[in-house]
Amino acid sequence: MAKPKVSSDWLAGCAGCHMSLLDMDERIVDVINLVDLRSTPITDLKHPDESGVDVGILEGGINNSYNEEVAVNMRSHCKILVAFGDCAVFGGVPAMRNFFTLEETLRRAYIETESTDESGHIPNDPELAVPMKVHAIQDFVKVDVFLPGCPPSADAIFHVLSELGQGRVPELKGDTLHWN
Amino acid sequence: MATITINGNKLEVPDGMTVLRAAQANGIEIPTLCDHPHLTPYGGCRLCLVEVEGARTLQPSCTLPVSNNMVVKTDTKKVLDARKFVLTLIFSERNHFCPYCQVSGGDCELQNAAYNEGMTHWPLSPNYTTFPMDASHPHIIMEANRCILCRRCVRACGDLVGNYTLGFEERGANSILVADTGVPLGESTCISCGACVQVCPTGALIDRWSAYRGRETQVDITNTVCVACSVGCKVNVLTRNNSLVRIEGDWEGAVNEGLLCELGRFDPMKVDCERIATPMIRKNGALKAATWDEALSTIASQLKPLSGKSADGVAALISTRQPIEAISLFKELFADQLGSGMVTTTEEGEFTADSAVYADTVNKAFETDLKALQTAGAVMVVDADLVKDHQVAGFFIKRKLSAGTNLLVVDKKENGLNPFANKVLKAGKGSNADIFKGLIAAVVKLGLAKGKTAIKATDLDGFAAATGLKTDDYLDAAFVLTSAEKPVFVYENGSDLAVLKELVDVVEGQLLSLKGGSNSLAASQLHLDKTFKINGHKAAFFAIGDGEASQKSVKEFEKAPFKVVLATYASALTGVADVVLPSTNWLEQEGHYINLEGKTQWAKIAITPAEESWTTVQTLNALAEKLSVKLTADWTKEMHERVSVVEIS
Repeated sequence: MAKPKVSSDWLAGCAGCHMSLLDMDERIVDVINLVDLRSTPITDLKHPDESGVDVGILEGGINNSYNEEVAVNMRSHCKILVAFGDCAVFGGVPAMRNFFTLEETLRRAYIETESTDESGHIPNDPELAVPMKVHAIQDFVKVDVFLPGCPPSADAIFHVLSELGQGRVPELKGDTLHWN
Repeated sequence: MATITINGNKLEVPDGMTVLRAAQANGIEIPTLCDHPHLTPYGGCRLCLVEVEGARTLQPSCTLPVSNNMVVKTDTKKVLDARKFVLTLIFSERNHFCPYCQVSGGDCELQNAAYNEGMTHWPLSPNYTTFPMDASHPHIIMEANRCILCRRCVRACGDLVGNYTLGFEERGANSILVADTGVPLGESTCISCGACVQVCPTGALIDRWSAYRGRETQVDITNTVCVACSVGCKVNVLTRNNSLVRIEGDWEGAVNEGLLCELGRFDPMKVDCERIATPMIRKNGALKAATWDEALSTIASQLKPLSGKSADGVAALISTRQPIEAISLFKELFADQLGSGMVTTTEEGEFTADSAVYADTVNKAFETDLKALQTAGAVMVVDADLVKDHQVAGFFIKRKLSAGTNLLVVDKKENGLNPFANKVLKAGKGSNADIFKGLIAAVVKLGLAKGKTAIKATDLDGFAAATGLKTDDYLDAAFVLTSAEKPVFVYENGSDLAVLKELVDVVEGQLLSLKGGSNSLAASQLHLDKTFKINGHKAAFFAIGDGEASQKSVKEFEKAPFKVVLATYASALTGVADVVLPSTNWLEQEGHYINLEGKTQWAKIAITPAEESWTTVQTLNALAEKLSVKLTADWTKEMHERVSVVEIS
């Protein structure tokens, strides 16, 4: 049996989940032996194979039109989609801005911060992605495996990847299930 | 008894028990959120839904009483799906993002419930409605965004504490926890007892002192006794790295059943007094650091010549916050060995001396316990402001008022209980004895006297005039007392106790005195209950520890030619003392305490003291050695050598 192909990408998150993946230390070698790692944001290949992969992993929530595009693209190129970390699963820390209007958050970020001088303005280049409320990725695409945690522990990540690598759908419970 | 079947197990359970309690009693777990073993069932969260044969829908087990032949299932797919759905709805309503919540990671019952159901995500996205956050209170932060509307806090505030500050405004998903009529908590009628924080299952009510300083899995917990007053509440002291994180009421505590007041829960958190770090000896007018040996030698050389002098030797005073072991040694060293005629405590017998003398006279214990307040149909409080001091005893009274318990307050001062009272007798003049006699006369006049008395109904007008009150006031008050069974009389000190006892007997009531500090009763058993006067004494030795001395006794202290103070914190006393000895505080020492109802309790060490801070027992033993005196007192025996006002157990 060919090793399952795995791709990952990140959206509105902090990259911390991918850092936690590296916390697996030498167990990452075991994972590499089980799976064929394709594109990731921390390796050279940036997009999942056109022919598709078996497992797609997304870190971060969806907070603009670009995130949405990446998520939809990953979904359409993978068989099993993993929501990786609290932002992908719940919206996470970025979702705190949902308690304010988009207008308020943009004004705060680009005009009112202590380090912004009077020339501050909200970017409006048509080339830029359109910001929106922060969403869990399940609001846009079907998710098969939820791996919560801020970040998920290396143990939880190892459990999920090794299960997927061996063709099983992982179940999280006990020590591997935590939301913070 | 009823026979019910839960998950195929046939169980015999008492009638009237809820299905939830029946399951719990038999080791069958049903998850809950709004339920709390010490609160009235509410049925608000629906997490405890179970399937009952013959019932149209799932039933909340926390409010469903058992009935004979009931068949209950707690583990069917229908039940498990409902649980997940209930949690899904709760999570969707407010801000329940975990990563930046103080209780996340073990201390949150909502998060734990979700983990137990194996929830990896929220099937419904949150609706991002913003609720106000109230940080106006000095101790408590009220964060409505974390609230799950379980109303545990509301029930604790009302049913347990009897304060009824917390309540809810609006309906349904818009419901919001408010203080009083929606004022900021810090400006409300909140008395800062913290019961609401202790029962909150989520991060909706947290306290400022312990927030983000450690989860329950990261702290050490010491079960000990609060020494703030004579009620003797059992507390769990949470420490981390030998530093105080939080104090919680012990739900298993027989006296307080989980409750604490501000003095017990929050005051110890905000101590910011300067700590005495080393022994000090005054040289050329200024205190200089010294070794323990130098300090004790200095004291011994000054005290030795004063040995055996009753009127002009060493006058000694110890705090009633000290354990009995220390108070007993103190008495033995200063009264028995050094022969001083002036050995007393910080309370100076103010709240115990008169009633102890009365106990000596009648030669038996005559007081009841705090539990009596729970069954009393009426309570008469004399001079004691239970809203300020001995607050937990006040909670026991206040929480019964809505159930119909009558409250009569007799106090010449403004008493915090007045707004709750059915009747207040605030005499303008006269003595308490006149008031008690007036009440007896009024009871006789109503024809409701159950005991014998020489006082006649016709005497009433005279006592009313003597106290500046109307005859009708007395008749109203007498009616409040006599229209209920088992009245309890709570008094502050024993002046006019014989007359009060006559009134108690006339209405077949019971007595309970507050006795002041945490070991005032024990000190009284040791006859340490006189007023402190320096008179001709040549030295003064104050073992204050982390307690406080009255301004009057500090003035007396200043008059002594040689002054020693054993203290935890810098104060007016340490400012004038010739020798200052560093002392442990209540969390750093162990020993026994006898509460106001005679219950002997052991206080444990929760925090390891610094090397230079000695316990009073250590200090007294070391000083005795310097004085070549052997201390052998057995406090357990001493406690029973004098008849006590209440049985000591």
